[in-house]
Amino acid sequence: MYISRFTANVCRWVGSLILGVCLTLLFSCQTDEIEGMVDRKYIFVKPDNFPEPTYTFDNNPVTEKGFELGRKLFFDPVLSRDGSVSCNNCHIQATAFADGPQHPMSVGVDNRRGTRNAPALTNLAFMREFFWDGGVTHLDFVPTNAIENAQEMDESLANVVDKLNQDDEYPALFKEAFGIDTITSPYMLHAFSQFLVMMVSANSKYDKYMRNEGESLTDAELEGMKLFEEKCASCHEGILFSDFSFRNNGINASFGDEGRARITEHSADQGKFRVPSLRNVGRTAPYMHNARFQTLEEVLRHYAGGVVDSPTLDPLLSNGAQLGISMTEEEQTKIIAFLKTLSDYDFVADQRFTNPNH
Amino acid sequence: MKTTHNILLSILLLTLFIACDEDENMSLEASGAFVVEFDNYVGTQQMQLDPAGSTDYRYANASGQEFNLSTFRYYVSNIKLEGPDGERFEDVMNVSANADDVEGYYLVLESDASSQFITLNDVPTGAYDKITFILGIAEEGVQEGAAGGILDPAEDAWFWNWNAGYINLGIEGTAADSPQERIEGDGWLVEENTFGLHVGGWKEVEPDDNYVNNIRTVTLDLGAAVTVSEDMKPQVHIVFDLLKILDGAAIDFSQTYSVHSPLLGAPLADQIPAAFTVDHVHQ
Repeated sequence: MYISRFTANVCRWVGSLILGVCLTLLFSCQTDEIEGMVDRKYIFVKPDNFPEPTYTFDNNPVTEKGFELGRKLFFDPVLSRDGSVSCNNCHIQATAFADGPQHPMSVGVDNRRGTRNAPALTNLAFMREFFWDGGVTHLDFVPTNAIENAQEMDESLANVVDKLNQDDEYPALFKEAFGIDTITSPYMLHAFSQFLVMMVSANSKYDKYMRNEGESLTDAELEGMKLFEEKCASCHEGILFSDFSFRNNGINASFGDEGRARITEHSADQGKFRVPSLRNVGRTAPYMHNARFQTLEEVLRHYAGGVVDSPTLDPLLSNGAQLGISMTEEEQTKIIAFLKTLSDYDFVADQRFTNPNH
Repeated sequence: MKTTHNILLSILLLTLFIACDEDENMSLEASGAFVVEFDNYVGTQQMQLDPAGSTDYRYANASGQEFNLSTFRYYVSNIKLEGPDGERFEDVMNVSANADDVEGYYLVLESDASSQFITLNDVPTGAYDKITFILGIAEEGVQEGAAGGILDPAEDAWFWNWNAGYINLGIEGTAADSPQERIEGDGWLVEENTFGLHVGGWKEVEPDDNYVNNIRTVTLDLGAAVTVSEDMKPQVHIVFDLLKILDGAAIDFSQTYSVHSPLLGAPLADQIPAAFTVDHVHQ
């Protein structure tokens, strides 16, 4: 909701006042009863150690009906031209909603092969740009790309909306979730976002260790964490394990896929791709935008000795006597041990994100 | 407990926001309406559309290349009026999934005469001599997410998925010199010798300063002060001249016939502020 600054200030002022009244009321009434009425399953909770979310919840607050509708859509191949492909085809819960090794590049309608590896869908509520090239700047607009891409679902947004309006179930579900009589695309995209923002992964062994929840890391994992901070965290920084910048990490010398430069149209961005979050990285093989590497061992070996030079190679990979990051094999093994502590088994088993039709 | 707070707060704040929006309209005391008409021309000729692929050429650019138009459209937003004595009006802006709640964004379509008249309500009474608006949908409009009505890509909106944002200005037609070949796709067709000039691009995101931002603000003097009152509804007649864009950017249809990215659209965007003039005002 975009309103004038004056109105916003007035709202903020009145908001503070009402907030005060509300808190007073809350403390004075039967809080237990209120608590019992709320189903925590459908509340977006920012983990304490996470940054503020980027998603515009004021426009689209999460509700049970909206979330469940988004979930149904996520698993429904009605989105694709011939009813053969759902989001779940390339975003599988067991692999933290990345694609599996059997589909290094996404496979769409008519078995068409995509050009990039489908990334994991985790912590999307905290991201400011989406896709390997960052071309999309708001989560609501993400599903449209998969729906309309000829290599993926090859369907038009307008057709999907028509199909949903003619469906036996969807019109009633949209009515329940949003109070509308006719389905339109923004409501469908809002339902998707309500589902996607809830995919918060913050319960890995690493998180539990950091939050002092009785979890401990092995010596190798702890040494790996120290090495990671020294050698990897300048790009894979912070609690989301990415600074979400775009960098050329030296996997190619020339670029069939120009990456970030496609969006900025700037030659300095040739071959740059988004630094991915490493949460659940132990489960999201294969790696890199073009699925070049099958294992984390291959990835670490690349950074240690396989970096290829090109005009846009990231300076952090070319600031020593030799390209890449200096790491012994033993150090690589320890870093991998640490990376595996980022796997969140609660997340990949969370019943809220399973196929509702199964 | 904390979550309960959050929920209650969300509900309260939401109610409050809605209430505030209504207040803004109701709190104004004396006010009237102001009509902005967008009248599109190609040089001295009133703009007229032809079917896509038609070789009936109505217009010519400065270098004599003949062309016609099949589609012409642009977004107008953030309209502001200013007066010599400090009067000020800012259109209410709102992005919403509900088409009826989208406010302050307008789609001017050459194919729809009614879309060329924008009525601003609740303009405080007084004198105004300056109008400002944005050609396109700027960051505030895009970054609120999916929206309805004229901002819904499944309906009237033209939207780039790959580089998410709206197409601010769309110019399509046929030019004898365009080397465009006929392409028949699955359910779509590009006719021979056609051109498509799509001007989009709104980003200016730190720290990445490589983006091309094609959002342009247009500021026009009304000539003389016009009066808004409860019983006077002035109408400003704004003329848009497409030749100012095409000739200003020195478009040669044999070279430039397919513009579909912010960088390619930048020379066209740069001509936008000069393409609009106030023709006259009906008091």
